[in-house]
Amino acid sequence: MAVETERAPRERPHERRADPTEEGRRLSTAARALLITVLALLIAAFLNAQNIYKSVYNQPAGTQREVALAFAGPLREVSMALRLDRPRAWFESAIGREHAEIDTEIVLPMPPPPVTETVTSPGAGPTGEGRTGTTPTEPEAPQKPVFTPEDPMRFWIAGDSLVITPGYAVFRAFGRNDAVKQVGDIDGRVATGLTRPDVFNWFRHVDEQVRKEKIDLVVFCFGGNDDHDYMTGLPKDVSIGEFGDAAWTKEYRRRVGGLMDTANQAGAFVVWLGLPITNDGGQSRRWRLINRAIAAEANRRGGKVAYVDMYGLLSDEDGDYAPYLPDKDGQLEKVRADDGVHLERAGGDIVAKQVVRDVRQMVDVTSWRAD
Amino acid sequence: MLFPTATFAIFFLIVLPLSWLLMPNAHRWRPFMIGASFVFYSWWDWRFIFLLAGSILWNQLMGVRIHRAAGQRSRQKALLWLGIGGNLGLLGYFKYYDFFVSSTQNLLNLVGLDVPLEVRTVILPVGISFYTFMGISYLVDIYRGDTEPTTLEKFATYLSFFPHLVAGPIVRPNELIPQIDTPRSPRRVDTSRAFYLIAAGLFKKVVISSYLASNIVDEVFADPSQHSSLEILIAVYAYAVQIYADFSGYTDIAIGVALLLGFNFPQNFDSPYAATSLQDFWRRWHMTLSRWLRDYVYIPLGGSRGSELDTYRNLLLTMLLGGLWHGAGWTLVAWGAIHGIGLCVERFRREHGFGKPFEEQTRLDRYWRRLVTFNVVCFAWIFFRAETFGVAWDMITGLFTHWGEPSPLVTGTVLLAIAVGIGSQYIPPRVPQTVLAGFSRLNVVAQATVLALTLMVTQALGPADVAPFIYFQF
Repeated sequence: MAVETERAPRERPHERRADPTEEGRRLSTAARALLITVLALLIAAFLNAQNIYKSVYNQPAGTQREVALAFAGPLREVSMALRLDRPRAWFESAIGREHAEIDTEIVLPMPPPPVTETVTSPGAGPTGEGRTGTTPTEPEAPQKPVFTPEDPMRFWIAGDSLVITPGYAVFRAFGRNDAVKQVGDIDGRVATGLTRPDVFNWFRHVDEQVRKEKIDLVVFCFGGNDDHDYMTGLPKDVSIGEFGDAAWTKEYRRRVGGLMDTANQAGAFVVWLGLPITNDGGQSRRWRLINRAIAAEANRRGGKVAYVDMYGLLSDEDGDYAPYLPDKDGQLEKVRADDGVHLERAGGDIVAKQVVRDVRQMVDVTSWRAD
Repeated sequence: MLFPTATFAIFFLIVLPLSWLLMPNAHRWRPFMIGASFVFYSWWDWRFIFLLAGSILWNQLMGVRIHRAAGQRSRQKALLWLGIGGNLGLLGYFKYYDFFVSSTQNLLNLVGLDVPLEVRTVILPVGISFYTFMGISYLVDIYRGDTEPTTLEKFATYLSFFPHLVAGPIVRPNELIPQIDTPRSPRRVDTSRAFYLIAAGLFKKVVISSYLASNIVDEVFADPSQHSSLEILIAVYAYAVQIYADFSGYTDIAIGVALLLGFNFPQNFDSPYAATSLQDFWRRWHMTLSRWLRDYVYIPLGGSRGSELDTYRNLLLTMLLGGLWHGAGWTLVAWGAIHGIGLCVERFRREHGFGKPFEEQTRLDRYWRRLVTFNVVCFAWIFFRAETFGVAWDMITGLFTHWGEPSPLVTGTVLLAIAVGIGSQYIPPRVPQTVLAGFSRLNVVAQATVLALTLMVTQALGPADVAPFIYFQF
């Protein structure tokens, strides 16, 4: 093979200027291109420093976040001192956008006294959490509220990205039942959860929403982004240790239970979708820990909260992850998205059937038809 | 590593100066660029780099063998098919395994046979379809004598070059390898065009595409039965704009990044929604894929050289394969079929003297053709976006059955985003040319300030998190 001797011809001083080009554009030197790129990114960093700081602050805990904060913090300080953050703030005000403020305050109602005991329903999945809240062992089951087309049940669906597909399936499953009225579209917010109110403060949002919209029933799904060691909004002097530690679980249960109470005390029943099995064994194990915390809190609240074991519903007969499951005719249907985490429409329909069953255990939305 | 992220900005700030510093010495520059490209690719999943490395080695090995077998046509042909088979096998396993297994099992179930087949969850490596197609064109071009095998180092640089690696454009060997062969001139960098493409691409992706996706498209396609006819209609148009903004935005950034490094990529989009026919649309939409399908599928199938029926068959087959290339799903095959049938109908009309020839068309005729073409393309997009035929059917029936219902998703901002997406394709080319000419004459600080303000506006208008580009999955 011939030895290659590819070298750029030596540049003479009079050739250092960039050449012109057609269409009227002036060409640049590589050095000038680099200079403009660096300068543009630097100016943009100062103009956007407030938002850069917030997105760095919202990153999962770890070295990467610490290093990024070490840069983003001083950048924000300098930007504010030179008032370089003002153009973006003015622009955001002009288009009606919120500024990049960090909100970690968690206000939760007082928890109710624990309910004596509930029985795990048949068909509990391999996680062992089962579906709870639907078969309370109270001596007398409370009277179910009755909803009619004149006084429909107002229901709302909220959570992280995992709630979106089963949420729409729930809409479909209720069909055109005039005694059921959905409030708004699915409130599914990607990459949010209960550990990071700084990313999105669900505690504040749920409290505002259930009261403002007079919600009768809410379907929640949270936890898919919570399987890590870091939480913001911790009470003073509380440390949580690592993910799954007793202290972590205690604080997580406080948040889960608090959200249930927020809805219950505003008069709304809660159906909480547990997290599904995924194609990542480690993630599935972590999500089972989260499911246990949610199921335990649902148990404590008797007939006002139902826990749906999405993990079991979407596992195959051996309890393993299954991208395809047979439908009622034995035809394989794709139930899981290609990412191995989210659901396809058919998977959502499986979950929705269980949600509707659980809702009917808690409220009456069908007897009006007999009148 | 996504283009519109801080991670990529840092990566590029390191690669750009080093690339120009090493450029005069090709023996240093090429390993550096291969390394940088592998780092870029491994950001998704480090295991993918073995796949990319395997593809490079396989195609280079087969390319050299095909070339050495020159003069022995049957041996050359066998080697070519082996080489293509290796590429398609890779693509078939990673992209289509589950699709074929589940389809086969369902087919067997329909005829009463219960044969359990194993469905695996195969992770789809990003960009596999793009570099597989580039590998195939390398082998076919060598077989045809259009190009000669290059060195492994140059071929690895060509195939893995990070600006085009994950979502194109599909650059041909004879377009990029000669550029890799010759050091780029550091005095002729078309920075104003590069910055314009990068800024426009970011705006399209971060603002237009993301806004439409999260404010109407995703919600309506998730469950059309819950939405009014007006919402469904606007969601279909919104998806047409979303996918254009998403994909053309990506390739604009890719072309701009390559320009800053001194490389020219072919154009990939040319105002596709201003097309006056489906044939015209495919000359303007994903142009590098269109010409790939033309040169490596349609023409080898016989093109228009046989009978009229043969031509229609070739058109249809090419578009069906084009549909399947986009993903493992029957809805995508249906999308390809709609385009294939549309192209056949257009050809039939042309061949048999229906409709006016181009030179006799009035301006009104052309507006009408644009309108019809755009709506046919949008109709086909329903199948492209829908997860199942059930959803596609709900979308189509919903267009007629829920008029008069409330349409909260149809907001002024959604309509504005659609109007901007479509209207931008009717801007005369001289307008951006004039703007760029003026921009290129500004001093360094002024240019940097304009770019920084553009970035600020884009970021302020966009959502907090930007979804991955749609075409990564292909």
